[in-house]
Amino acid sequence: MRQIGFLIDVTRCMGCRSCEVACKNFRNLPETQRYRRVKCMDWEKDGETGIYYLSLSCNHCENPVCFLVCPNHTYRKRRDGIVVHDPGLCDGCCRCVKACPYEAPQYDEATGKVDKCDLCVERLDQGKRPFCEESCVNGALHTICLNRELDPGLHKTIPGFPDIRLTRPSVRFLPPRLPLQWRQKSL
Amino acid sequence: MEVYRNVCPRNCFCTCSMLSYAENGKLIRVTGDSEHGFTRGKLCSKGYAYTQRVYDAKRILHPMRQYPRGSGRWHRIAWDEAMDIVTRKMLELKGRYGSFRPICFNKQTGNIGILHYALDGFFAALESTVVNGTSCWSAGLDAFLYTFGDMRKSDPEDMVNSKIIIIWGGNPAWTALHQMYYINQAQENGAKVIVIDPVFTATAAQADIFIQPKAASDGALALGMAKYIIEQNIHDQDFLQQFVEGGKEFIQYVANLSDQWIEKETGLPREAWQEVAHLYATQRPGCIWLGLGLQRHANGGQNFRGILALAALTGNIGVSGAGVYYPSQEHWRLLNWHTRDAFLKKAEPAIRTVSLNNFAEEVSKLSEPPVKMLFLAGRDLWQDANTGALAAALEQMELVVQADHFLNRSSHFADIFLPSTTQFEEWDLVPSYWHHWIAVNQQAIEPRGECRSDLQIAQNLAHKINELAPGCVCDPQVGSEEEWVAQELSPELLESLNVTSFSELLEKPRKLRVSPLAWADLNFPTPSGKLELKSGLALADGFPLLPEFSRGFYPPVHYPYRLLTPHLNSGSNSQFTNLHWLSWGIDEPKLRINPRLAQKLKIQDNDRIRVYNHLGEVVLPVRITATVPEDTVLTYTGWFPGKTQINRLIDGKSCDMGIRGTGQPGIALYDTYVNLSAV
Repeated sequence: MRQIGFLIDVTRCMGCRSCEVACKNFRNLPETQRYRRVKCMDWEKDGETGIYYLSLSCNHCENPVCFLVCPNHTYRKRRDGIVVHDPGLCDGCCRCVKACPYEAPQYDEATGKVDKCDLCVERLDQGKRPFCEESCVNGALHTICLNRELDPGLHKTIPGFPDIRLTRPSVRFLPPRLPLQWRQKSL
Repeated sequence: MEVYRNVCPRNCFCTCSMLSYAENGKLIRVTGDSEHGFTRGKLCSKGYAYTQRVYDAKRILHPMRQYPRGSGRWHRIAWDEAMDIVTRKMLELKGRYGSFRPICFNKQTGNIGILHYALDGFFAALESTVVNGTSCWSAGLDAFLYTFGDMRKSDPEDMVNSKIIIIWGGNPAWTALHQMYYINQAQENGAKVIVIDPVFTATAAQADIFIQPKAASDGALALGMAKYIIEQNIHDQDFLQQFVEGGKEFIQYVANLSDQWIEKETGLPREAWQEVAHLYATQRPGCIWLGLGLQRHANGGQNFRGILALAALTGNIGVSGAGVYYPSQEHWRLLNWHTRDAFLKKAEPAIRTVSLNNFAEEVSKLSEPPVKMLFLAGRDLWQDANTGALAAALEQMELVVQADHFLNRSSHFADIFLPSTTQFEEWDLVPSYWHHWIAVNQQAIEPRGECRSDLQIAQNLAHKINELAPGCVCDPQVGSEEEWVAQELSPELLESLNVTSFSELLEKPRKLRVSPLAWADLNFPTPSGKLELKSGLALADGFPLLPEFSRGFYPPVHYPYRLLTPHLNSGSNSQFTNLHWLSWGIDEPKLRINPRLAQKLKIQDNDRIRVYNHLGEVVLPVRITATVPEDTVLTYTGWFPGKTQINRLIDGKSCDMGIRGTGQPGIALYDTYVNLSAV
C-alpha cells in the first residue's frame, strides 16, 4: 500500500507559525482547533545548546489508533495512506482525542464534533500541495511518498515527538544542527 | 468568488501583497500574491490571521461614547454626533486658549498606508500639537546619517549574492521572514550566515555561526573586529584612502585597544570576533544587516557607528552582495504625499511637537497652552514605556478620541471611539521601507458596520469644523478613495514602475526600476563628500569624533538583570496578539530565564516569578531556556488581553542618538533592569 506523509526539514523551520495559521485561514477553523501546531524545543549536543521548532499535524499513521478506537467508524484510511475523518458520523465522544499520541483529532465545542488534518486531500487529488506546505517561506515542510527509497539522513523520530511505536506515524525528520557558537562567558 | 489585491499596511519589513477572496461581500480567505517578487506568494502567521481580524466579535463597528469615562459603559452614537462632539470641543479649546495647540494628535505606525496620512494632514493643518520621534529606529538612523550622509541600502534581494551575511541584533526569522528566503539561497550557494545577538533566536538556529556578546557591547565587538582586520592587514587600503574620511585616525584609535579590554566588555573570547572578522574581510562580498534591537540602548547609535566602520574598513560598500542593511525610506520620496498635503492651508504649518517616547511625562510638561484633548489613531499607549505614568497624564485630558479597530488598553481613558476600516474595506497605497516593490491596495468588501477609513474620518472632521468655523483647514471632499490613491503617483514613480497609468498598476505589484545597489557611485552627501568615520557633525552634536566605544547603562545594584522585550512571531507591537487565531495555545507572555539563574533562584519551569524594579512589579510564569544569558531575562512584547503587561517596568530612558533624523532621541527600551523573586 502507498503511504503519503510529511517530511519536516527541522533545519529550515523558523517557528514562524505561518503553516499553522494558513491552515486555520484556509479551513476557517474555530478558536480551539489547530490542525497544525508549532512548538519550540530546547536541545543540547556536546555541551552546546540551541533550539529547534517542530511543526506537527496529523501524521496519517500506518497504524492509526483513531481508526481503531472510534465506535462510529468515522475514520478511514485511503489507498494512498491518508487518514480521513467524516465529521458527519462523529458524535464527539472524544475517544480518538484521548487515544492519539499527537493531539491530532481536536474537539470543536461549537459543533460538538471532532475533526483533524486530512492532508488537504481535495487539493492533493487535484495535483496541488497542502496549504501548510504551500505557505512555508523556507521550504521546511514537504509531502512525500514514504514507499520510495528515502534519504538515509532522515529520522523517524526526534526528541519532542511522542512515542512512534504504537501507531507508526508517516512522518520523517531532517534533524536540526547547531551553529558553531561562542557564548557570553558565565558570570 | 472575487479576487482582489491587497497590501498588508503594518509596520513590518515585508509589506506583503495579498490576494483576498470575497464571496457575497464577505472576505473568505487571504493568500500571498505570487506576482509580488519579494514576498513570492507567501504570508506570515499574522497575515493569514486577517480573515479572523476583520470578523472578530470584539471588533467595533459603530461610533461609540463611553460615559462616564472609565466606566466601561460604551453606548452607540451616530457619526454626526461623534463628529459634532469632537469638533465642538476642538473649537471650544481654541476659543479658550487661542490656538488648536491644546489638541494632541498621536499616531505612529499602526497603518503605514499613504491614505492614512490624511489624519496627519488634518491635525497639521490645525497647527495642533503632534507627536514626533519614534520608538523604532532613530538612534541607528542617526549613525547612518553621520557616517554615510543619508540612509540608503541596497535591494534586499541582492543579499543572495553575498558570501558572508552578518545579521546583527535582529531576528528576521520572526520579523522579516520573507528575507530568510534570500538568506537561505545565499547559504545554499555557499555563503556563511553569522548571527550576533545576546539571545539565541530562531534566526540563530538557522545560522552557521552564532556569537553571543553582552547586550549593548556591540560597539566594542565591532572595534575588536576592526583591530583584527587592521593587524592582519586585510583591510581595503585603497577604499579607505579614496572614499573614507578619518580612516587614519580610526586605525590609530583601534590600534591602542587591548584584546583583554574587548574580552571584558563583550564577555567573549577573542577567537570569536577574530573568526568573524576574518570571514568578513576575506570572503567578499559580505553584507551586514543591522537589526533594530541593538540600537535600543543608551549607546545604541554610537555602537552602530562602530559597526558601520567595518564596512568602510573592508570596502564592502557599493557592490553587489555587500552593503549595510537597515530600513530606509528613500523611495517614499517618489510619492506625491497628496493625501497629507490636501488638508494643509500652507506648506509648513507651525505645529507644536511632543516626544512620542515617554509621552506621558512629556505631554504633561507642556504649558501655554496645556494639552487638553488627545486624538489617538491606531495607537495603544500601553504599548509604550513607563505606562504607570499614563493614567495621570490622560486624566488631565478633557476629551480623548480613539480611531481604531478594537477597544484596547487605552480605551479605559477614551470618551469617543471611531471605528476604522481594515485594508480590505478601503483603498490605499503602501510603500515599503525594505524591498523595492509597490502595490495598490484595492477595496475588497464594503466596510463592516459603520466603519470609515482614516481618510473619510479626516474629511468628516475637516467638513464639520469648517462648517462651524469656516476656513480652519482645507476641506478636500472630492473624489473617490481610488482617485485619491491615483493622485499619489508622481510621474517619476510611474516611470520608475514602468507603467503609464494608475490602472496598469492595479494589474499586479510592480518593482521600482531604481539602482539595486546603494552607494554604487561612492558619492556620500556628508560635509567631506566621503564616508565619514571622523564626523564633525557627530562631534557638534555632542558625540565622539570617531566611532569610539561609549559604555551604556549598566545594571543598578538592586536590579541586576537586563530585561529584553523583543517581538514575537505572532504579533507586531500591540497588534495581532489579541486575536485567538494567534494567541490560542502559545501560552504567552512568559519570562524566559537561563537554567543557571533558575537554579540559583530555585525556580522550576512554569513556576510564577515576581519581576520588579523601581516602576512596579508584575508576576509571570517562567520558561527556563539556555537561549538567554544568565544576566538577562526576556519576555515578548505584545498586548495579551487579560494577562500581565510588562510595559509598566520599562522606563523611558533615551538613546544617545535620534534627534538628527527624527527630531527626538530614540528610546533605550533594552536598558531596562529588574530583579526577580519567587512568588
